[in-house]
Amino acid sequence: MRKNTFWNLTALLIFIAVIFFLVIPVTRIILGSFQIEEGGAWTLKNYQSFAAYRTYWRSLTNSIGVSLAASVLTILAAVPLAFVVSRWNVAGKSYIIALSTIPLMLPSFICAYSWVILLGRSGIITGFLQSLGVPFTSIYGHGGIIMIFSMQLYPYVFLMTLSGFNSVDESIEEAGRSLGTGPVKTFIKVSMPLVLPSILSGTLLVFMTAIENFGVPMIIGEQRPFLAVQAYMEFTSDIGQHPGMCYAISVVLMLITLSSLMAQRYYLRKRNFIQSARGRPLIKQWHGWRRRLATAYCFGVVLTPLIPFFVAIVISFMEMRGPVIHPNFSLDNYIYAFKHSYRPIFNSYFLATMATLASVLVGVPTGYILTRRRSGIGDVLDLAIMLPFTIAGTVLGIALIVMFNTGILVLTGTWMILALSYTIRKMPFIARSSASILYQLDPSLDEASISLGFSPMKTFFKVTIRLMAAGIVSGAILTWVTTVSELSSTIVLQTPGWSTMTVEMFQGIISGEMGVANAFASILIVSAIVPMLLMMRFVRGERASLF
Amino acid sequence: MAGIRIQEVTKRFGNLVAVNSVGLDIQKGEFFTLLGPSGCGKTTLLRCVAGFLEPEAGHIFFGDRRVDGIPTHKRGVGMVFQNYAVFPHLSVQENVTYGLKARKVGASEQERRSREALAMVQLEGLEHRLPNQLSGGQLQRVAIARALVIEPEVLLMDEPLSNLDAKLRVEMRGEIRQLQKAMGITTIYVTHDQEEALSISDRIAVMDLGNVRQIAEPWEIYTRPADPFIAGFIGSTNMLSVEVLEQKDDHMVAQCSGVLFGVPLLEGIVPGRRIKISIRPEVVDIAAPQDWLPDSHWSLEGRIGRIEYLGSMVKYEADIGDTVKLLVTGYNVEPMNLRRAGDAVRLVYPIKRVLMFAEDAP
Repeated sequence: MRKNTFWNLTALLIFIAVIFFLVIPVTRIILGSFQIEEGGAWTLKNYQSFAAYRTYWRSLTNSIGVSLAASVLTILAAVPLAFVVSRWNVAGKSYIIALSTIPLMLPSFICAYSWVILLGRSGIITGFLQSLGVPFTSIYGHGGIIMIFSMQLYPYVFLMTLSGFNSVDESIEEAGRSLGTGPVKTFIKVSMPLVLPSILSGTLLVFMTAIENFGVPMIIGEQRPFLAVQAYMEFTSDIGQHPGMCYAISVVLMLITLSSLMAQRYYLRKRNFIQSARGRPLIKQWHGWRRRLATAYCFGVVLTPLIPFFVAIVISFMEMRGPVIHPNFSLDNYIYAFKHSYRPIFNSYFLATMATLASVLVGVPTGYILTRRRSGIGDVLDLAIMLPFTIAGTVLGIALIVMFNTGILVLTGTWMILALSYTIRKMPFIARSSASILYQLDPSLDEASISLGFSPMKTFFKVTIRLMAAGIVSGAILTWVTTVSELSSTIVLQTPGWSTMTVEMFQGIISGEMGVANAFASILIVSAIVPMLLMMRFVRGERASLF
Repeated sequence: MAGIRIQEVTKRFGNLVAVNSVGLDIQKGEFFTLLGPSGCGKTTLLRCVAGFLEPEAGHIFFGDRRVDGIPTHKRGVGMVFQNYAVFPHLSVQENVTYGLKARKVGASEQERRSREALAMVQLEGLEHRLPNQLSGGQLQRVAIARALVIEPEVLLMDEPLSNLDAKLRVEMRGEIRQLQKAMGITTIYVTHDQEEALSISDRIAVMDLGNVRQIAEPWEIYTRPADPFIAGFIGSTNMLSVEVLEQKDDHMVAQCSGVLFGVPLLEGIVPGRRIKISIRPEVVDIAAPQDWLPDSHWSLEGRIGRIEYLGSMVKYEADIGDTVKLLVTGYNVEPMNLRRAGDAVRLVYPIKRVLMFAEDAP
């Protein structure tokens, strides 16, 4: 027995799972896009239709346009904020950072829906504005979608740019200054180029998340076609008639995300500035009104995106009749939601928990293989787990249904297919975050344990896992929180018995049952925020004892 | 406790031959050092002995037991790492008993042995500290105690002192040497620091590009380096390419860019041959013009160029002729004898201390 049998075997199992649950389903989608129907003759007709019909063509331009606009807007909002938080002495920095992460945890369609309550055709603020004579009609349309994406996704750019700005060593800027460039010019010539890769990485995440988003365009897109929505429509309405068209749209969506990811990798390959920050950057000390103004600005930016969630919670305690709000305190919405059925709540929690467990069980060893056992299979695995990042939730859902409808493993209609799709989407995240923890752990710790007599497998459990624990737990909590609020693949995969809170809420919004939607929205918001708070406490406590 | 026999071990990484058919015979209880510049294969060889790497060819024996093919955790090696590798989530005591637990040693026995090991490295009283509460030197002591407490057959140390500051490094190497002798444990020590290697080892193997260039005791490595590479790598030296001009009774005269050097007689070296010679800076003395010189010494006229004053010693660079430069180290130099740049000096050295190598030696 060679000493790394355990890891070779693990790598092989993970590899087979990736092939079976991800590569084959996606391949079938790609192949299917060249057929009119299952098993039909090979043809390019689906793509010809895509180019010929205005609806498809518009879905492409809408999706790309809205996602690009949202990317630009997030840069405009997040980069100045990151600069101020990193370089000025604004008060309450840790609160600003903590508040900024909340929008990422919460479902975007709740955000969209709350803005409808405020700024919809009969929205609270709309009415107020119109009574003042402002010619504002509503949030529906491209502008609204772009605004909601920006508000929800700006943390990606903010957090990455912030760490970029924080890691530009003071001495690098001082070197620029000493060589004769002024502070502004030094910033443009030295600091910005160093931070640019971080900004672009964050922006790519915004773009990819926005383009695969299903809920927001569904709620406030008003029949305007978008790729992620269109794929779902073709799948649900025309099932059995034009599945090929649905696959073709899916392939177009994949091509966009894949090529943007490739472009980013190509760009970053030449710009891997390893920043060994010895000292923190110099922090500009403002006093008096300047400091207060800067602080107010920062809190203004991070609090504004939280307004809709606050509104959703408040409204959930009000009396609703259909879509009409009555300003009386009431628990009716909750009573109705629970009476209606406790199943969606149970389902959401159960599925998220199973998917989180599976993601950790597969993702942590994958991260280990990616960092510590790089050879042959590890390289392929690295590429393979990039795939889920490029596949929209709706597309993955469709792929899984097609794959597991018939054949050796029938999962369609069971809870397992939902858990499976969540696992596929979240496992790479756990694997990546495990890998990044492992990069910081000295490999000689493992070797020390092995040299002292524990086998590689025992060493993994006695040393490696323990040192990774805090990181794994926070990764798992993030996974759980984002899984509970997942909509785009759930909407495709759910069956009556396995409907989730997000699905119920979504259907409530579509059918005008706002009370139920609000109650579920509040439960979802609380489900996201409570684990977050626990995690912050846990991680802080763990750090204190570990480092 | 056992000796270590390394038989023609070869380790490749792709096309790179990191260790090229190396054979070593390390005695029981010996302190054996692998010395060489970075990338010479010394760490790779050590990791083959530890079992973290499997050689492509060759065998490794601990005593009579062949260990290649046996996984690390069953080899019974104690290893000390460059960056300590003390488990950050375990206390000092738990770090030390870690290997005993792997060997299923009883609780009271664990307690006793870890107490002894900690006493040995002078860490009594720190049993319950966590590693983040220890200094670099203390961490390295924990690492040493942890490796020794399991009573390994062989002790492997991979640049254990390179992360410590200069003063602590000197202190610790004395302690390591003492511990190793007291326990009589066969040790392979890897370092790129030639002074450390000279001070600590019973024998040294100098490695370069995957090959062992010389195996010898420290004094021999220094005074009788096998080739110009070793002469240059260990200590500093004046390496000159010269042509032998004539043979005298007890020495020969060689020429380098018009400057004549006295070199010892050596069989096979006859006038007309080109050779490389090495003269250590501390072998050369600065003499007064009127000083009497025995026949065994050679004398050169030169002029002081650069001076580096280091307190306990002074390093001069002297220009001899137009192009030849000679490094000269003076120890215990009295202030009145300090030379200044531009001073004309007479440089003398004992002819027999000149080392000679073939022209084409590396």
